[in-house]
Amino acid sequence: MAESNEITLTIDGHEVSVRKGTTLLQAAQEIGTSVPHYCYHPGMSSPAMCRLCLVEVEGAPKPMPSCVTQAQDGQVVHTESELALDMRRGVLEFYLVNHPLDCPICDQSGECKLQDYVHEEGREHGRSREPKRVFGRDDFGGDVLFYGDRCVMCTRCVRFMNEVEQDSRLTVVERGNRSIIDTFFEEGLEGTYWHGNIVDICPVGALVSKDFLHKARAWDLDHTDSVCPSCSQGCNVSLHTRDNLVQRIKPRENLAVNGWWMCDYGRMNYEWINAGHRLEAPLVRADGDTRAMGWKEALKALLERAPTAAAHGVKAVASPHASNEDLAAFQALVRDLGGEDVLYRLRVVENERPLKGFPNLARRRELAPNADGAELLGMTRVGDDDASGGLDEVADHDGLILVLGDDLDDQGEEFGRNAACYIHLGAHGGTAPANAHFLLPVTTFAEQEGTFTNRDGRVQRFWPSMETAGAARPPWFVLGVLLAERTGAPAARSAAESFAQLSSRVDAFAGLTYEGLGARGAVVNETVSLTGGG
Amino acid sequence: MAISVKVMERPEPEETSYLRAALSGMALTFKHLINPVKVTQQYPEEQTDLHPRWRGTHRMEVHADGRPKCVACGLCPTVCPANCIRLVGGEDDQGNRYPIVYEIDEFRCIFCGMCQEVCPVEAIHVGRHFENAEYTRDRFVYDLDRLMEQEHPTTLLWDPSDPRSE
Repeated sequence: MAESNEITLTIDGHEVSVRKGTTLLQAAQEIGTSVPHYCYHPGMSSPAMCRLCLVEVEGAPKPMPSCVTQAQDGQVVHTESELALDMRRGVLEFYLVNHPLDCPICDQSGECKLQDYVHEEGREHGRSREPKRVFGRDDFGGDVLFYGDRCVMCTRCVRFMNEVEQDSRLTVVERGNRSIIDTFFEEGLEGTYWHGNIVDICPVGALVSKDFLHKARAWDLDHTDSVCPSCSQGCNVSLHTRDNLVQRIKPRENLAVNGWWMCDYGRMNYEWINAGHRLEAPLVRADGDTRAMGWKEALKALLERAPTAAAHGVKAVASPHASNEDLAAFQALVRDLGGEDVLYRLRVVENERPLKGFPNLARRRELAPNADGAELLGMTRVGDDDASGGLDEVADHDGLILVLGDDLDDQGEEFGRNAACYIHLGAHGGTAPANAHFLLPVTTFAEQEGTFTNRDGRVQRFWPSMETAGAARPPWFVLGVLLAERTGAPAARSAAESFAQLSSRVDAFAGLTYEGLGARGAVVNETVSLTGGG
Repeated sequence: MAISVKVMERPEPEETSYLRAALSGMALTFKHLINPVKVTQQYPEEQTDLHPRWRGTHRMEVHADGRPKCVACGLCPTVCPANCIRLVGGEDDQGNRYPIVYEIDEFRCIFCGMCQEVCPVEAIHVGRHFENAEYTRDRFVYDLDRLMEQEHPTTLLWDPSDPRSE
């Protein structure tokens, strides 16, 4: 081997080549061997203080902590040897000396690393006869509760606040057996925007979320890969659902977007997905009388009425919360009906909330997941920064009005009163949507498959995690059927087909496919800047 | 053609009389009337002795202050093969985890006793009890209060002197 950065070592009998500077723990992960660890986290420094990742290195005088020991050329490492197992068994026994074993009432139970490791390689029975030290629980402020008895002192939380959020709110107080994580004075975590992550990275149940407290057991939750819909950053998340309700949102690793982290705003902004007041059947208003109909009947009536109304002009309003497929299908239908411009409104707040320790990650100012998708499709942003106004011309329009996704909360009873035909596709009703001649129920992002384009032009897929409400259908499906009825071309039967239609029609998305996007997403050809974003 | 006649011989009356059989039957009946060894149990005046490992309807153990012992850990709904336990956990005013909703559908229950076996705090038990008649079906969904009211003895899932059945 030449003077390269590559070194070759042997782990558990397997030869593995890694870059110089790789730690033994990372090298072991390369061959699929997971060495138990608490304090090591790929996103932070390793203090080698949990002593759980001890492995045997031939020639070394004692077991080495694999999270900080750098791999050497020709090294022979045993992660499962008698010595290594014995060392780790001893360390785990020490952890259990003061651990309260309150798994039945602990929220981490089922996803707890102490449970896992003790089950895998710990002692069957404890030998400690001394009374356990008791701390009780402490409110750390924000969304975090601290159960000191369960803590294993890995200090991941302290290091996250110091190194990643770079706002030192936590520290270790006291020494030895009495050492414990604490906040400074009464300040706690109040006023920090990323502290939910310390609950995620806590390997045991010491830090738990107040919001999730006692809500569900870890093994009852279904995990669905998704994209955070709360801002234009597009953090990769996992929706944890139970009984067809989102119980919590956890970040999903994607080094190109959000690393391992997500902000507290996105984490807590999920109740709207579970909201019960949903449209569940197409509502058709005719002669002052609103009637629930089947889809076939409603769309047939719509196709009879819309073209005549379109002769007086078409006004269209979309929402940056809709997926790329939905927006594209909407635009295609609007153009087919003779309309041109599609408007959208976007909520922009004053402050960005960056995570200092990770490049290009922040709770962005634009509080919608797909404003860039709308821009790429050539839609026009109107209205103020609180996503209100800008629709005066639409409200009084006497031709055809089409609305997708925007709940029009700021619009009064007069919206669409003069329209010859007003078609509203939404998940929820409202004052203005109640005027619609055709109020069509559509799914939320959590109930359908689709893609969002984040602020860096990265197109990312999300998957359905919940059952649809009533007869609600994905917008791309409804709009695709309507367009197919008018043009005779086949309608998309899946989100992938809808996306294929989009990528063949819009240059910016050219070359992208669902298979190509995968779970990590891909960046579109050109970068865009948001109008009015600034 | 001549008709041939077969003459059947009838048995003698002393062989066919029912009188003797009836009398011997009566004798047996009257013997049992005065027999000191009684087999019939006079249920419901006399209650049946249930086996110590009989598994019947559930009961929830309570603390001295009347709170249920259950900590809403979620193991019994997880282990239940009939999926008959509904549990919603929460936190009470003393900061303890407790079941806000705890319901067992005794109709769906197959009385396997795994809920009792899995319970880490010995709260839920199957009981030595079988008289469960009700007038409506919905009364068979026992809620937490009903489970706490039950007073029948609980099941011995295993012999304490021989826990491994050796």
